[in-house]
Amino acid sequence: MTAAAEPLLEVRDLGKRFAGRAGRDAPAWVIQGLSFSVNEGEFLTIIGPSGSGKTTLLNMIAQIDVASSGMVRFQSQPAPIGDPKALNPGLTCKIGYVTQEDNLLPWRTTLQNVLFPLKVQGRLNDETRAHAETLIKAVGLAGFEKHYPHELSGGMRKRASLIRTLVYDPPVILMDEPFGPLDAQTRVQLQEDLLRLWNLGRKTIIFVTHDIGEAIALGDRTLVLSRAPARVAGEHVITIPRPRDIRGIMGHPDFGTLYQSIRAQVQ
Amino acid sequence: MPDRKPVESSDPAELRPEARPGARLEARPELRPDLPQAPRRARFDRALVFVALVAIWIGLATVLGTYWVGSPWGVALRLGSGVWGDLWQALAFVLGPTWSDSAVGGMTRPVNLGLQGQLQGQILVHASYTLFEAVAGFLLGAIPAATLPFLLRRLPIATAVIDPFMVGGYGAPKLALAPLFILWFGIGIASKIALVAITVFFIVYFSALAGVRALDARLVQMAQVAGASERSVARHIVFPGAVPYIFTGLRIAMPYSIGGAVIAELISANRGLGYLIQLGAMNFDTTGVFVALVATTCIVFLGNWSVDTLERWLLRWRPPADTKAEVGS
Ligand SMILES: Nc1ncnc2c1ncn2[C@@H]1O[C@H](COP(=O)(O)OP(=O)(O)OP(=O)(O)O)[C@@H](O)[C@H]1O
Ligand SMILES: [Mg+2]
Repeated sequence: MTAAAEPLLEVRDLGKRFAGRAGRDAPAWVIQGLSFSVNEGEFLTIIGPSGSGKTTLLNMIAQIDVASSGMVRFQSQPAPIGDPKALNPGLTCKIGYVTQEDNLLPWRTTLQNVLFPLKVQGRLNDETRAHAETLIKAVGLAGFEKHYPHELSGGMRKRASLIRTLVYDPPVILMDEPFGPLDAQTRVQLQEDLLRLWNLGRKTIIFVTHDIGEAIALGDRTLVLSRAPARVAGEHVITIPRPRDIRGIMGHPDFGTLYQSIRAQVQ
Repeated sequence: MPDRKPVESSDPAELRPEARPGARLEARPELRPDLPQAPRRARFDRALVFVALVAIWIGLATVLGTYWVGSPWGVALRLGSGVWGDLWQALAFVLGPTWSDSAVGGMTRPVNLGLQGQLQGQILVHASYTLFEAVAGFLLGAIPAATLPFLLRRLPIATAVIDPFMVGGYGAPKLALAPLFILWFGIGIASKIALVAITVFFIVYFSALAGVRALDARLVQMAQVAGASERSVARHIVFPGAVPYIFTGLRIAMPYSIGGAVIAELISANRGLGYLIQLGAMNFDTTGVFVALVATTCIVFLGNWSVDTLERWLLRWRPPADTKAEVGS
């Protein structure tokens, strides 16, 4: 991992609070004084307790939500602070975002959902279409191309939403617990696929998870967030060399120590 | 969580039970033939209710006499002969002497069947006038009503400014407008179309508005991150999401459009089913009034079926028993 002189993404002293509702108590800070940076080509995993502000953080990086204070810089370009109108969601297709909820369009079939980004970007052609079909097969959705989202299982919807982002190949991908509702087998399969893809394309990935094992198995570096207001409670460089054997990762001598020290920080 | 509820709003359409999306579905589950409870059992019970209603009708006609209540067979005979008269004329028009001079044509000529006395006007001709007024007014009202909330989506202030006027227009009794429209547009077809259009407009406007407001912001954000322009968002997210709501409005507006046309004809016209009702009443011809009413009901069924079919095709992406999107909040 060659660390570039200038990080790809820089988050400094970030703060976020949501507008309070009338008649309720003043809005509390969800995130406060959060700082970290991500280099190009890095696989960063983020772990933190439920409600600690992980989704909120990714929303601000993807610019679908606005930060209240501090700074978020992507490729040296600062994101707007406090002004939702100035946001540029997805930074013109440079940041892909696999959201926590699948957000599939109920009126489009699986295939149409996967092709959606290509269609709105005007990049739908035989080649991209073939690529989409390859991805559909790779995640085991072959035969379900013509199904509507309500006809898919939760895990299938999740996989469809995952490849909807992969299909247009954004250089940076944010993933919010993408493998949460999957069975252990599919999960390991997709983790391996994701690592292979990352190896090929040298993408930058920010990956939120609840699973300490997953955070270690996938990441170059793991960030532990504290309870709200979220701060960096710990940072761990994952020393396990690549290529990694995900199925046997627990047997690696470094795994146990990393697991214990991360676990101690995730309250 | 996978269930996404429409955003709550102080939208007037939600305050009125009949305009609230889904209210009609709760009240009339038979309008959703795809609901699981709809099939055979319901069809049987429906037939039973129909028989019971006809029995009551026969009872009333027998007890009160046909001067007060036209008997079902009288109505059926009149309706049948009226329709046959129209069909015979249509065949004669299309086929010419080949039909009218043929053996079958001659035998079935309404006069030769002894139907002439029974024939009241020309049922199909009058019905098609009413149908035309209803359809024209329906389209003229529904299309701008369904479009306007999309144009206003990015203009919350303009929406707020026109809101009280829309509520007023929705609440104003349209029947009271009929004499005014006749004054403005004459006794011809235009005044009927105008009355239907204005009735349909307000109903559909509020349902389309509710649809635009129920928009799931997360789907919009997903699309924007994926590179969708404002236009793509409107076309691929806002519009499809609002279609179920628009259809709720169309279903409610449809019978109003036919009713509106008939009422406008009642007040002043020389053709249409409303005119037939008026004519029958003036001649103390109760059966004639009943014939026109039954014909009106048939048109309502036809309209309902058309809206249903179109909706089922456009909303084929929805789970069969899913009324979530419509019942909402
Ligand atoms: N739109 C909002 N308005 C007000 N408060 C919000 C909003 N979105 C999130 N929050 C609050 O911010 C906090 C962090 O939420 P967030 O969704 O970022 O947590 P998370 O770390 O992603 O949790 P999980 O692991 O359960 O997904 C929560 O306390 C939540 O109540
Ligand atoms: Mg979350």
